Amino acid sequence: MFITICVGSSCHLKGSRQIIESLESLIKEHHLEDDIELNGSFCMGECMKGVCVTMNGTLYSLKPDNVEEFFNKEVLGGLR
Amino acid sequence: MKVSVDVCYKSLNKYQEELCGDKVEILKTEDSDIIILADGMGSGVKANILATLTSKILGTMLLGGATIDECVETIVKTLPVCQVRKVAYSTFSILQIFKNKKAYLVEFDNPSCVFIRDGKIVKIPFVERLIENKVIKEYHFDVLLNDCFVLMSDGVIHAGVGKVLNFGWTWDSMAEYTLKSTKSTLSASRLASMLSKACDDLYMQIPGDDTTIAVARVIPVKEVHLFTGPPVNKDSDEKLVSQFMKGSAKKIVCGGTSANIIARVLDKEIRTSLIYTDPSLPPMAKIEGIDLVTEGVLTLSRTLSLLKTYLSNDIDYTFFQKLDLENGASKIAKVLIEECTNITLYVGKAMNEAHQNPNLPFDLSIRMNLVEQLKDTLKKMGKEVETFYF
Repeated sequence: MFITICVGSSCHLKGSRQIIESLESLIKEHHLEDDIELNGSFCMGECMKGVCVTMNGTLYSLKPDNVEEFFNKEVLGGLR
Repeated sequence: MKVSVDVCYKSLNKYQEELCGDKVEILKTEDSDIIILADGMGSGVKANILATLTSKILGTMLLGGATIDECVETIVKTLPVCQVRKVAYSTFSILQIFKNKKAYLVEFDNPSCVFIRDGKIVKIPFVERLIENKVIKEYHFDVLLNDCFVLMSDGVIHAGVGKVLNFGWTWDSMAEYTLKSTKSTLSASRLASMLSKACDDLYMQIPGDDTTIAVARVIPVKEVHLFTGPPVNKDSDEKLVSQFMKGSAKKIVCGGTSANIIARVLDKEIRTSLIYTDPSLPPMAKIEGIDLVTEGVLTLSRTLSLLKTYLSNDIDYTFFQKLDLENGASKIAKVLIEECTNITLYVGKAMNEAHQNPNLPFDLSIRMNLVEQLKDTLKKMGKEVETFYF
């Protein structure tokens, strides 16, 4: 499964880097390195909804403080 | 191959002096580059005035087409006479390199220019002439690609005199060191910075005299194309990309949407890195055929601040350490400083609505302002700049 995080200017300022770091550590914690691949992307054209993250074609709007919720609900839920 | 001249200078002030008694003027004419180094008698304010007057008179008159005889005559008759020494005096060197590879060097009482060609110190034949009772050395010659010239004030060859070295650095040792340093540095700025540091070390950080190094290196014309910002009208995308891709210039794309446009028009994939080489800058990306792909406004702001620092003449080795970092801004700045003589900017004027967001910690709607500042700074750095707006 691929998760793509926008690292464009606007999303960068809203915390892309923290989100990537959190996702990386959550993936490690759950030993899902072989199942999930993280990707970066430049501007997705949805700056108003940033930080933009897409998974399986769905756009999610994340903040550094709701990453864990997203991971537990959407990522782990999606894998089950 | 067309040639260009990479010029940089660096001065050390005599210990405890706020002003430098040496002055360097760098000028560009339609068909040549001119470097003037003047060293005013004494130190401090008086020397600074003499050197400034001398270099400005030389520069202005040469630009106006005056002969060296007329310039010297004017200087002799204009410089204020020192009350202590009863003379008006400033040494000078002028190096003019033409685009057709002809060159002219004239020296009055400064240490001779160090000239390096093909890894050797070369002596150029000169003619001595008397103008207004002053002995002037004139050199006429042709330059070749990679020739390197170092003009200096006498503070350089006297560095360390009576302290670290009995007779100071001397012209011969200085020339040998310059030869060695040209092999390990590519740009004029790195060479000037290295030579100036050597002087400072020989003086044990207490320069006994104003000390100035001016370096000119003959380099091939190196073109860079930089594309930033999407065009206002989407229909212009293809035209912009085809102009941008033309020729063998180094190609830089700054901006996420800009990168997307390039990838779409060229039908190539963008691979965005997740590696933060600098936590405050978004990571870079790769597109086949493009030399550098970076984020836009944040990266360019940082690049601009590096270029401005570079221009301030207040740079030392730590600056080049910053320039060698692996983040997008340093990489762009390095290309612009060291691998570029002519730059063409392709600037799209479209506005990103999300960038007009006052809640963001940084004003992202400043692209046009950045571009104007970038143009200005590059021109001051001696680069030839052309801009196309879309």
